[in-house]
Amino acid sequence: MRDRAPIATDVIGESRSPTPEVKVRAVARVWACALWGLETALVTVEVDVANGLPAFVVVGLPDAAVQEARERVRAAIRNSGYEFPLRRVTVNLAPAERRKEGTGFDLAIALGILRASGQLAVDVEALCLGELALDGALRPVRGTMPRVRHALARGIAAALLASANAGEAAACGADAYGFGSLREAVDHVAGSARVAPTVAPAPAPPERPAVDLADIAGQETPKRALEIAAAGAHSLLLVGPPGTGKTMLARALPSLLPPLDHDEALAASAVHSVAGLVDPRHPLLRSRPFRAPHHTASPLALVGGGSPPRPGEVSLAHCGVLFLDELAEFSPSVLDTLREPLEERSITISRAGGAATYPARFLLVAAMNPCPCGHLGDPAVECRCLPDAVERYRGRLSGPLLDRIDLRVNVPRVPYERLRDEGRESSATVRGRVLAARERMAARLVGTARRTNAELTVADIRRWCRVDDDGETLLGAAIRERRLSARGYHRLLRVARTVADLAGSDQIRADDVAVALLMRA
Amino acid sequence: MSAAIAIGPADPRYPPRLLDLAHPPDPLWVRGEIAVPLERAVSIVGTRRATGYGLRVARELAAAAAAAGIVVVSGLAQGIDSAAHEGALERGRTVAVLGQGIAAYLARTNARRRRLAAEIVRAGALIAEYPPDAPAKDWTFARRNATIAALAEVVIVVEAPSDSGALITAAEARRLRRPLYAVPGPIGVAACAGSNALIASGEARALTGAEMLLASLGLASDGAVRRTDGDTGRILDALAASPLDPDALAKRLGLAAPALAQTLARLVISGEVRPCPDGRFARR
Ligand SMILES: Nc1ncnc2c1ncn2[C@@H]1O[C@H](COP(=O)(O)OP(=O)(O)O)[C@@H](O)[C@H]1O
Ligand SMILES: [Mg+2]
Repeated sequence: MRDRAPIATDVIGESRSPTPEVKVRAVARVWACALWGLETALVTVEVDVANGLPAFVVVGLPDAAVQEARERVRAAIRNSGYEFPLRRVTVNLAPAERRKEGTGFDLAIALGILRASGQLAVDVEALCLGELALDGALRPVRGTMPRVRHALARGIAAALLASANAGEAAACGADAYGFGSLREAVDHVAGSARVAPTVAPAPAPPERPAVDLADIAGQETPKRALEIAAAGAHSLLLVGPPGTGKTMLARALPSLLPPLDHDEALAASAVHSVAGLVDPRHPLLRSRPFRAPHHTASPLALVGGGSPPRPGEVSLAHCGVLFLDELAEFSPSVLDTLREPLEERSITISRAGGAATYPARFLLVAAMNPCPCGHLGDPAVECRCLPDAVERYRGRLSGPLLDRIDLRVNVPRVPYERLRDEGRESSATVRGRVLAARERMAARLVGTARRTNAELTVADIRRWCRVDDDGETLLGAAIRERRLSARGYHRLLRVARTVADLAGSDQIRADDVAVALLMRA
Repeated sequence: MSAAIAIGPADPRYPPRLLDLAHPPDPLWVRGEIAVPLERAVSIVGTRRATGYGLRVARELAAAAAAAGIVVVSGLAQGIDSAAHEGALERGRTVAVLGQGIAAYLARTNARRRRLAAEIVRAGALIAEYPPDAPAKDWTFARRNATIAALAEVVIVVEAPSDSGALITAAEARRLRRPLYAVPGPIGVAACAGSNALIASGEARALTGAEMLLASLGLASDGAVRRTDGDTGRILDALAASPLDPDALAKRLGLAAPALAQTLARLVISGEVRPCPDGRFARR
């Protein structure tokens, strides 16, 4: 694609025609961009206006929404004061091999028709994105960010879009021009009324984390687990009676994580763009996403899907935290859909028009009560649950999901007098240790796509998880007596690696193994 | 599983102690490998809604009795009964007396107790005084509780609230003059109110440990209570009463978290301490 001329409009001139009956034949070309999941492809919208019975045909595997573009474009052109050619209009979306979805091609098709019919005298040398209303108004579309970035990478610096999308495009570094209507866009391209490029919006001020670790009294072990989870990106389950601070602890997790780097910010923002959830004033995310879907969320809302497909919560949490509060209240079938994203760190939605893949690399933190009444092990309130009811309650969490949770800790009730204890560590202090541990991990994984211990492959584990003699003894006993599965063994070593990294140790020591064992015994 | 057989009071395999009842079950339905007369037997019963402490004690008492060759009898309910059967299965034999037909019970119980029932059939027997398909009724459980008392030489109530079916077993044990013991529990815990009341009224003697149980059966215990010193012993002592989370354990023992972690991890690996699904730790 790169070696082709990026923008071109061929006009086969009348002058060369041997016979006067042959009228002007023009093929106009305008750039648009197709989107499947987060996958993008540059599309050349070719428009041919030829003699013949009036017709308007769109070819090149358009889906139903693109077919409907004919009605929107025809009305928008007329209602903007232009003429819709009463000839044979053929629009080709090239390359034709994959189905194109959505309403984002409207603007490119309209500009192509105006160019091919001679109503626009100059070529359109920009990526064109936007949906047209029947009255000619230009409407924003989802997925501006990945499409603009794709065009930029192919050397197309300018983008013509709806005003509401212009900030997103400018934030990606494009020369973005925002319009309220087709007419404004045409006037700009023709030069009769040029608009200024949109200034890239200032990044949002960094968000103040919802909860600081210092706000939470007691809970030393859960806080330690939170630190380990943040450092190694290990998934975490908090179990305890109501009102003991589980939700608070989970909400403190973002305050322990390293800041989003530039690539992560672009990747996370792109998902939000595709979901249509970009704040136009601050299109680029600055803070890690923290998504907390309610337990009544549908599988579609959680992992994505639909037509056209949208990313779900697991992808909106990409590069951030997915918090499942009251985990046992989620329906088992909904929780089952989490297996793929937890395993693959992405989710693929297969559909008639081809699969859509969204990234889903999130840190999972979940909270639940220990039993249906919530008070098992609670010194304040006697539990009234029968053992069978407790077992059924826990049985709602499938083995495969629990198998993918690295850390599990009890969050006990803190005695009233300790709610006022002093000398608690702040998030900033703990985050310092997390950052240092992350640096150790990054140095080890340099040259790979992996960043954290949670992502260590079996080969990585063999190479990087060396255990000292005491630790080996402990580990050997654990394998023998507790019949650790291979998966359980590797998970244990990943967590122990993180505990050692937090302590600044290259070797995994018996203490590190012990902590890992106790937090996922 | 083999089918159940029916045996009448005249059958030499019929447990003779059942003849002490005003109306001995006739016939008695049995499914299992055990020689039924049950020369040596202890009944261990208690509430379904047991505390972690009660479950541990039931398991330990049953294991000690089974190891000494005594058959442990209980009712295969959730809670104390299941803990007693499980403890006995670790070291010896056990018999479950059902309050309904054996097939009816197996058809409606959950997977966990169905597994337990299968193990009991292999290392003991399931017993019912109702035909295989007879459903459960309120009064069938009351009769069953009396049968459990009659089958044993000694009856132990581990934990029972004041309206517990285990108190029917206790009352029948008194009527049949079986030695009756209750395990003392903490004041103010509903699960122990009925069993504590048995001790307070003098109907039951307070049971202070497995040695006392074995002594009541005329047996010496197989050894002194194992004493463990140092942090290991202190952790086990701290966990004796109820499961604890690691913070509470560290605080109670005045230990720093890292010092605690290794010792606790070793106890978990050796099986002396068991992690609960809620992240707390309990004595096995
Ligand atoms: N350890 C704690 N330290 C400080 N406040 C707490 C603690 N635990 C609970 N709280 C208070 O109780 C409220 C409820 O806590 P929450 O995190 O929602 O509990 P849970 O999710 O376990 O039910 C919090 O908003 C906070 O005010
Ligand atoms: Mg909560």
